[in-house]
Amino acid sequence: MSKEVSEEGKTHHGKDYVDPPPAPLLDMGELKSWSFYRALIAEFIATLLFLYVTVATVIGHKKQTGPCDGVGLLGIAWAFGGMIFVLVYCTAGISGGHINPAVTFGLFLARKVSLVRALGYMIAQCLGAICGVGFVKAFMKTPYNTLGGGANTVADGYSKGTALGAEIIGTFVLVYTVFSATDPKRSARDSHIPVLAPLPIGFAVFMVHLATIPITGTGINPARSFGAAVIYNNEKAWDDQWIFWVGPFLGALAAAAYHQYILRASAIKALGSFRSNATN
Amino acid sequence: MAKDVEGPDGFQTRDYEDPPPTPFFDAEELTKWSLYRAVIAEFVATLLFLYVTVLTVIGYKIQSDTKAGGVDCGGVGILGIAWAFGGMIFILVYCTAGISGGHINPAVTFGLFLARKVSLIRAVLYMVAQCLGAICGVGFVKAFQSSHYVNYGGGANFLADGYNTGTGLAAEIIGTFVLVYTVFSATDPKRNARDSHVPVLAPLPIGFAVFMVHLATIPITGTGINPARSFGAAVIFNKSKPWDDHWIFWVGPFIGATIAAFYHQFVLRASGSKSLGSFRSAANV
Repeated sequence: MSKEVSEEGKTHHGKDYVDPPPAPLLDMGELKSWSFYRALIAEFIATLLFLYVTVATVIGHKKQTGPCDGVGLLGIAWAFGGMIFVLVYCTAGISGGHINPAVTFGLFLARKVSLVRALGYMIAQCLGAICGVGFVKAFMKTPYNTLGGGANTVADGYSKGTALGAEIIGTFVLVYTVFSATDPKRSARDSHIPVLAPLPIGFAVFMVHLATIPITGTGINPARSFGAAVIYNNEKAWDDQWIFWVGPFLGALAAAAYHQYILRASAIKALGSFRSNATN
Repeated sequence: MAKDVEGPDGFQTRDYEDPPPTPFFDAEELTKWSLYRAVIAEFVATLLFLYVTVLTVIGYKIQSDTKAGGVDCGGVGILGIAWAFGGMIFILVYCTAGISGGHINPAVTFGLFLARKVSLIRAVLYMVAQCLGAICGVGFVKAFQSSHYVNYGGGANFLADGYNTGTGLAAEIIGTFVLVYTVFSATDPKRNARDSHVPVLAPLPIGFAVFMVHLATIPITGTGINPARSFGAAVIFNKSKPWDDHWIFWVGPFIGATIAAFYHQFVLRASGSKSLGSFRSAANV
């Protein structure tokens, strides 16, 4: 996939991209920079807006009385995927546009963000989610309480194992797409249009919702599930809550390992063997 | 379509370069990690493709089955199913294009093989990986919801009632032609020279092609246009009707891919005419 880069008439097999150095595991210096706090605010606001729009869409759909009224499940899936597209687009340059603890966790495992930043982001995302769902409840309290509160639970007829599997694979699809969209190889080729990276990420969220809304209501974002569980505060939502943390974190772990050690072959590079060429 | 570019001696030259044809049989590829990485990428991508799409189909059928507590207009609808197929192709081609070329479909691999874009070894390995990935993807769906999977058709492709074999075959041929023609157009070196700043956009028309074909042919065959997708569902569902009709979902897509490869290489890119050195609109086409 690497391009040969030509320099002053000489063609050599150099890479046309640079792998950034791994983020330090614990970077206390970040705590002194305004950009870190600005990024936390951006994650908080983005997750707030994400939960507000999407949960309001869910409640609005359920509020319709006729079977063919409302936006339908397709509209709900569009709300989730479309909001991720818009918000990743808006926040990518500020915070990286995670809006999801599973994405943050995957990027942390791949040494793209430090532990301090990862924890800060996850807290901001969860608080933003709580506030976002809180706004929905504040604006439409009765429908919110009577129509499920946008909370994630395992649907009747599905086992916890099925739900966990759905969350793992769904999050794998999302985090794999995030890694592909932010790969420095791709950035080198698509450097004139980084604006488009959020599009496949939004589409990934859309697709996974189409597939898994009937099973779990689709989590793939622990902050989204946590925010709705906190505000709705229903026993069933809390009983199933672990699925919406364990599943996404396992999916993110698998995606990080797949991208870093198979597609980007970090392990093989470290061994210095079995490579197709020196630039791969 | 070619641009006139002033060469160093003032003559017109091309602003793109046709890569040389891939060797028909390239045994050296077998020694390269990049081949195996690409095969793994095709396997995983096809697995994810089948998992998400067949899960969408089954979920829709559950929620719209009024006899089993579903409702009219329940689920994502046919439109949602078409989006699932087209959208997954978009994101998976986007994710795997730089690793394996993002085929995710034996018909696409076959078309690119005919056009000498991939070697025989790579083509065969890709097809095997795609079929195995498809089986595993549908296998996951069945593993997670066995009774629903069996009761609601298993996402398998077969001819719908009221359509004959010829209609189904034609739908598959034309549908695959649309897809593979789009793939050739999106990966054309002429286009890459013009759109070099937006390679990310190539997966978008490919995904849209899949979406459109599904809108048109779901009522006829459930839409194959991807032999691995049909094969994976047939293997896991394992009922006589899908197996009886199964040949349609290999023959149709392969014929469609052949026509698309021929059309692009010998009509649009005029390879035959170029080799004869005649009948060209310009020396730099």
